[in-house]
Amino acid sequence: MTTRTHPLRTTPWLTGMREAIPLLGGYVPVAISFGLIAIQAGFTTWEATLISVLIYAGASQFLFIGMAAAGAPLWLVVAMTLLINVRHLVYAPNLAPWLTASRHWPWLMHGLTDQVFALAHSRLPQLPEHQRLSWYTGAAMLAWASWIAGTALGAIAGDWLMAQWPLLGEVMPFALPALFLVLVMPRFTSRRWSLALCLTIATAMACTLAGLTNLGIPLAALCGALCFYLVKFDSRHTGGAHE
Amino acid sequence: MSNALWLAVLASALGTYLIRVLPLLWMRRRLRRFGDDDMDAMPQWLGILGPLMIAALLGVSLVPRHPDATAWLATAIGVAITLLVWYRKRSLGWPVAAGVAAYGMVVILAGMR
Repeated sequence: MTTRTHPLRTTPWLTGMREAIPLLGGYVPVAISFGLIAIQAGFTTWEATLISVLIYAGASQFLFIGMAAAGAPLWLVVAMTLLINVRHLVYAPNLAPWLTASRHWPWLMHGLTDQVFALAHSRLPQLPEHQRLSWYTGAAMLAWASWIAGTALGAIAGDWLMAQWPLLGEVMPFALPALFLVLVMPRFTSRRWSLALCLTIATAMACTLAGLTNLGIPLAALCGALCFYLVKFDSRHTGGAHE
Repeated sequence: MSNALWLAVLASALGTYLIRVLPLLWMRRRLRRFGDDDMDAMPQWLGILGPLMIAALLGVSLVPRHPDATAWLATAIGVAITLLVWYRKRSLGWPVAAGVAAYGMVVILAGMR
C-alpha cells in the first residue's frame, strides 16, 4: 500500500457525491428504460421502484422482469439473476485493504455496483483512512438514489421522456465508458499490465458485439489475467512491478 | 405482483447482497490473520482481477447500443477527447464531461446532415 494519500479539503461525503456525478450519465437513462420496460411488462410503478431499491443491479433487473413476464419458473428467474451478478464476488475483497474497521461497511456493500466499485477502487487508496467511509457513503448513496429515482421517472413518464429528448438517452450513457477510461488509464504502468488491459478491453468489446455482454465482463477479465500470468517481459524494462 | 413473485424479488435481492458482502467478510478475516499492513492477505490473482474487471467494464460500455458508423465515430472522438483532457488535467470530472460533450457533438452534427 504505497499509494500516497491526499486529504480532501471539502466534506468527504460531498466530494464522494460530486465524484459520482459522472455515473448518473449512465445510470439515469438506463434506469428510465428499466422503469418503462417494467411498466410495459405489467409491473406497477411501486413494484418497479422497489425492485430497483432491493435488487439494485442493472442488467439482472432487466432479465428478472423479462423472464418473470414471460412466465419462466421463478427458481430459474432467481438463479439467472444471481448468475449475472456473480462477477461482483471479486469487488469487495479488492476494496477490503482500504476499508476501515467501521461496522457500517458490510451494509454499504449493497451499493457496490460495477461502477461504484470502479470509482472506489481508484479513489479509496488516495484518501486518508478517516475520510473513506464518508466518501464512499456519499458516492454510493447518490448512485443508488439516481437509480431509484430514474426507475420511478421511467415508470411514470418514460414514454414522454423518450419522445421529448431522444438524443439525451443516446448521448449521456457515454459518461460510463469515459469514466471507466479515466479510471483504467493510471493502470497502464508497465508493458505487462498494458498488454493484459488491452486484451481485456478488446475481448469485452468482442463479447458485447457477439451479444454476450454479461458473460463478457468476467470472461474478458479472465483472459486478461491469463495473459498477465503467461506473458512476462524482461524485468529490466518492466521494473518487475505488478502495479 | 403475486406473493411468489415478491419472494423471488426478495431472494434475488438477498442473494445479490450476499454476493457483494460475503467476500468482504472473508477478506476482512484474512486481513486480520495476516495483519492490516500485509498485502500477502490479498491473493495475487484477486488483486490482478480488480483492475482487469474495470478494463472489462470499459470494453463492454465502449460498444454503442446501436453500433452504426456515426456511433463508432462518436465513440472514437469521445475517447480521444477524454484521453486528451485526462492527460492535461489528471482529474475525474473534466475528462468525462469533455468526452460526453464531444460524443454528443458528433451525434448532433451527424444528425444534421
